[in-house]
Amino acid sequence: MTVMQSIEDVRTILLSYIESSDTPRDALKRAEFKQLYGMVSTLPVQERAAYGRRVNDLRGELEVAIATRESAIEDASVQSIDVTAPWDVNSVPLSLLPTEQGTQHPLTRELENVVDIFTRMGFEAIESRQIDDDFHMFGALNFPENHPARDGYDTFRTEEGFIPPAHTSTMQHRILKDGKAKLEAGGQIAAVSYGRVFRNEDVDATHEHTFYQCEGVFVSESATLGEMLGTLRAFFEEYYGQSLKIKTQPAYFPFVEPGLEFAIEKPAALGGKPGEWLEMLGCGMIHPEVLRAAGIDPIVYRGFAWGGGIERLVMLKYNIEDLRHFESGKLAFLRKFVS
Amino acid sequence: MIISTNWLKKFTDIDMPIDELATLIGARLVEIEEVIDLGAKYKDVVIAKVIECGPLEGSDHLNVTKLDDGGSVKDVERDENGFVQVVCGAPNVRAGQFIAWLPPRAIVPNTYGDAEPFVLGARKLRGVMSNGMIASARELDLFDEHEGILVLDDDLNPGDSFVKVYELDDYLLDIENKSLTHRPDTFGIIGFAREVAAISGKAFKTPKWLADVTTDFGKVKTEIIAPKISIENPELSARFEAVVLRGGDGSQQSPLLIQTYLARVGMRPINALVDATNYLMMSTGQPMGIYDYDKVLTLSADATICVRSGRAGEKLGLLDGRTIELAPEDIVVAAGETAIGLAGAMGAANTVVDATTKNIMIEAATFNLYNLRSTQMRHGIFSEAITRFTKGQPAPLTAPVLADVVHLISEWTGAVQISEVAEAYPKKSETPVIHTTIEAINNTLGSEFTVDEIMTTLQNVEFHTDMNKKTGELAVVAPYWRGDIHIAEDIIEEVGRLNGFDSIAPKLPLRDFTAVSPSDFDELRAKLRTALVRAGANEVLTYSFIHGDILQKSGQKLENSYRITNSISPDLQYYRQSLTPSLLNVIHPNVKQGYDNFAVFELNKSHPKSQGLTVEDVPRELDMLALTVTNKKAQLGSPYYQARKMLDYVGESLGLDFAYEAILSEEEDPTAAPFEYRRSATVRDGATGISLGIVGEYKKSVARAFKLPSYSAGFEVESRALFEAAQKQAVSYVPLSRYPSVERDICFQVADTIHYGQIIELAETALAEMDLQSGVSPIDIYQPENGTTKNITIRIKLTANDRTLTGDEVSGLVQKIADGVIATTQAIVI
Repeated sequence: MTVMQSIEDVRTILLSYIESSDTPRDALKRAEFKQLYGMVSTLPVQERAAYGRRVNDLRGELEVAIATRESAIEDASVQSIDVTAPWDVNSVPLSLLPTEQGTQHPLTRELENVVDIFTRMGFEAIESRQIDDDFHMFGALNFPENHPARDGYDTFRTEEGFIPPAHTSTMQHRILKDGKAKLEAGGQIAAVSYGRVFRNEDVDATHEHTFYQCEGVFVSESATLGEMLGTLRAFFEEYYGQSLKIKTQPAYFPFVEPGLEFAIEKPAALGGKPGEWLEMLGCGMIHPEVLRAAGIDPIVYRGFAWGGGIERLVMLKYNIEDLRHFESGKLAFLRKFVS
Repeated sequence: MIISTNWLKKFTDIDMPIDELATLIGARLVEIEEVIDLGAKYKDVVIAKVIECGPLEGSDHLNVTKLDDGGSVKDVERDENGFVQVVCGAPNVRAGQFIAWLPPRAIVPNTYGDAEPFVLGARKLRGVMSNGMIASARELDLFDEHEGILVLDDDLNPGDSFVKVYELDDYLLDIENKSLTHRPDTFGIIGFAREVAAISGKAFKTPKWLADVTTDFGKVKTEIIAPKISIENPELSARFEAVVLRGGDGSQQSPLLIQTYLARVGMRPINALVDATNYLMMSTGQPMGIYDYDKVLTLSADATICVRSGRAGEKLGLLDGRTIELAPEDIVVAAGETAIGLAGAMGAANTVVDATTKNIMIEAATFNLYNLRSTQMRHGIFSEAITRFTKGQPAPLTAPVLADVVHLISEWTGAVQISEVAEAYPKKSETPVIHTTIEAINNTLGSEFTVDEIMTTLQNVEFHTDMNKKTGELAVVAPYWRGDIHIAEDIIEEVGRLNGFDSIAPKLPLRDFTAVSPSDFDELRAKLRTALVRAGANEVLTYSFIHGDILQKSGQKLENSYRITNSISPDLQYYRQSLTPSLLNVIHPNVKQGYDNFAVFELNKSHPKSQGLTVEDVPRELDMLALTVTNKKAQLGSPYYQARKMLDYVGESLGLDFAYEAILSEEEDPTAAPFEYRRSATVRDGATGISLGIVGEYKKSVARAFKLPSYSAGFEVESRALFEAAQKQAVSYVPLSRYPSVERDICFQVADTIHYGQIIELAETALAEMDLQSGVSPIDIYQPENGTTKNITIRIKLTANDRTLTGDEVSGLVQKIADGVIATTQAIVI
């Protein structure tokens, strides 16, 4: 009997063992298999490598067969249940978990709060998409191809060229297009879009690749930058329940002209002292090209838009030290936010 | 970007305190990240003259020096002539030099601001007293030169203030330059000064040499024929100028004052040639390049310079020692056929200026910013020069800057211009006339600026304005360096910004008295959250992207996920196909933290590729609600029923009654993939039949892969479908009966293959035929050990609308119901 043939024989024996055994993994412990290893030293040196490869190949094949058999055994052990019954046989009616242990995520709670204020101010709310195309993310917002301003957004891309939006402004073109008829009937466009956005960033206590934004859009025949400042101040005054000082700083975003950063004086509720400022969001008058792209005549209509992060509001409110907690799924964190 | 205020002051008066200036710049130009007081670092440094210098006995490198500080430093040991003794180890110290002396008690500037700054003293070195030290450029934190001490200019006086002489009583502004991406002019100190003048309400006058956009050197004694310049494609370069100088081999240094200015804004002084181009780049924003002209001639005898695209397979050895492969998007400067520089980015090794250089060629040009951006990314070059080029420097700027650099290099090195300026300028751009009105400006801003205020504001930054008094129309022409000004809105921004947006009164827009309702779908989701929180579950948010391992562990196919190609981490490789895998992934870590019995849920979007695209050609998104409930401790009954209990509660909170159906075989559905179909049910809305999702236990392989406690189950339903069902749900009200209700329990013994649901359905069918108000509820489900039958006990509640039911009547009705059940299930009533 040749050496190679003995491998072949062992293979046949073990495969049939695996096929019928309830403990297929024991095949690897069987004497027939172990003795194959023992034979190595009896072989001429030049044959050992080829032999070793064959034994290893066999081991791989057996592992696959064992895994298949194991999952078949496991699968056969699964018993159906009566899914129409309210509880299991010989069991008792079930209860829910203790109410006091339930919590809403602080971010969704704050989003509901923010959206509620804007709704009461007259803004419709639209949820933002989580996957979009270059046109909505950039093109329709006056970011030409290869524009350096695109770099600042650190966007992810998919194989198909889709983009996980880096700002909720990815909804702006849709809001403008949908609102055009209303505008032309003598009305206004007033809407906020909110949701998840993504930036290709390394994560640490103050940086996340996933976060939430709320964006606002207002268009009318007479919108002014002063009205934008008034609207934003009104929002933050309602949100913090006190009157607030505001200040701005010029900024550059291709989809607005002029573009500003908007700051509020740190509210007393957050332990703020006069002269302490909190940068809250970016804003500006909607660029005429953006209006035009949505079929709105920029000679007749003007608008303003803004966008800011939600995490910052929540972190300031509760003194949360690490941005990474939000998407961690840690109950230790989540259960701090009892309603 | 670092801005030196002393450098600004060379171009505009600044008479306000630094914090006011910083606030003003912040409000009207750009965010300042930090203000650095440079003077504080150098306040102890004294200019002194080395009077004597001799070797220290017993040392092979130390010298003993006597310094004359003009007696300016107090409390220091002096000899009979009033000189101070300092031991110095630098090889280049000589008598007669002016040097920077750090007296005892001075802080060494390059340790200034450290946790433990180095404070000098008077101490003995090899028995000889040394009072403080003579400083090197590195110790002075000027630039990285430590071969010896810094030798100062020789027209000074002992005891002069180092800070004053080298203008180091300066404040540096660290600028967040991201928001100046569209303002190439502000990347030069002159452009920045123009803004500073205007935002403080002053008119700015561009220096005469810079305002003159012709390349005029007056009479030049040309010795050679100028290089021949061509540009392959005007899109690559709008303008390319070059001039040749004799002399200037890079051995000379630029004036020390210039070196200190370069150093403080973060540029290392190199030599007079490089420093001259850098100094002008920092002043004007226009970078330049210098080539060894004789090396250029060896590559092209008639000095044919061509700006062209990189060629496929073409390689270029850069002066930093790297050899790069060029792409067609790269722009190169070539002599004849050979590339001699990666345009805008870096010179090539083949034409580098070195000790053998006799003639130099200086280039001033502009290049396509998009090409340079791609060059920057491809080859990882992030120099001050390419940073400026990628903002788009204007072509007219090359001429005055080239003229001035020739002037500076001649002054600093004695080099002489020997050629005319060679130029290719294929693409001249027009400056548009922009029309707007005072009314349009004020209407957009919500401001009340007067004609004069607006005109002055624009003129302060050298815009040309022309007001038509009759029509009220304002015609504005921006100077050539303002390539960002195209439309009326740009003018409006300038007026608002330069006067301060904060000077505009905030007011609320007027709007109609129409109510805005919250989105119904949002309200539904809020209700779902409230219900689940009341059911004791915890809402989580998990990432929309997951690792491929999580997909595989859940039994989902990788190819059904949109894949992210440029992710920073493998954890963010794929869009998720459902929410359940993300929930399963947070179970084990929480169990490990000591949480035994809990439920987590998430309302979010999923993006399985199989959903296809919307009419907008973007992927369809699914709004999902998923929950997983787990208990580390063994429980009576299967976990399926716990998950179902919570789902039922969700239904009830929306006024819906869910129906559960067994799944007969494994389905191709990413949401169902982690679930064990034999221990899961499809969920429908009972009233409308709308399909909602799945509830059940997880496959054993999934539970093992996620290390789930064995008592784990969950559900995943489409929240849009829930919404649809809830919208259609109508309250069906039946007037309350005045007569009492009767309850009867019936226990059916059935084969264990009969489902509870069948019994209920049959009972309800029978009840439907009776003109009564009725209800059926479960009481008990019992199966003896190893039995093949089970006992299902239900309670029937009956109420008549018009009478009190008698006992006999009730028995008859219950019998009818039982008969209905028995007929189909062969049940025995026990």
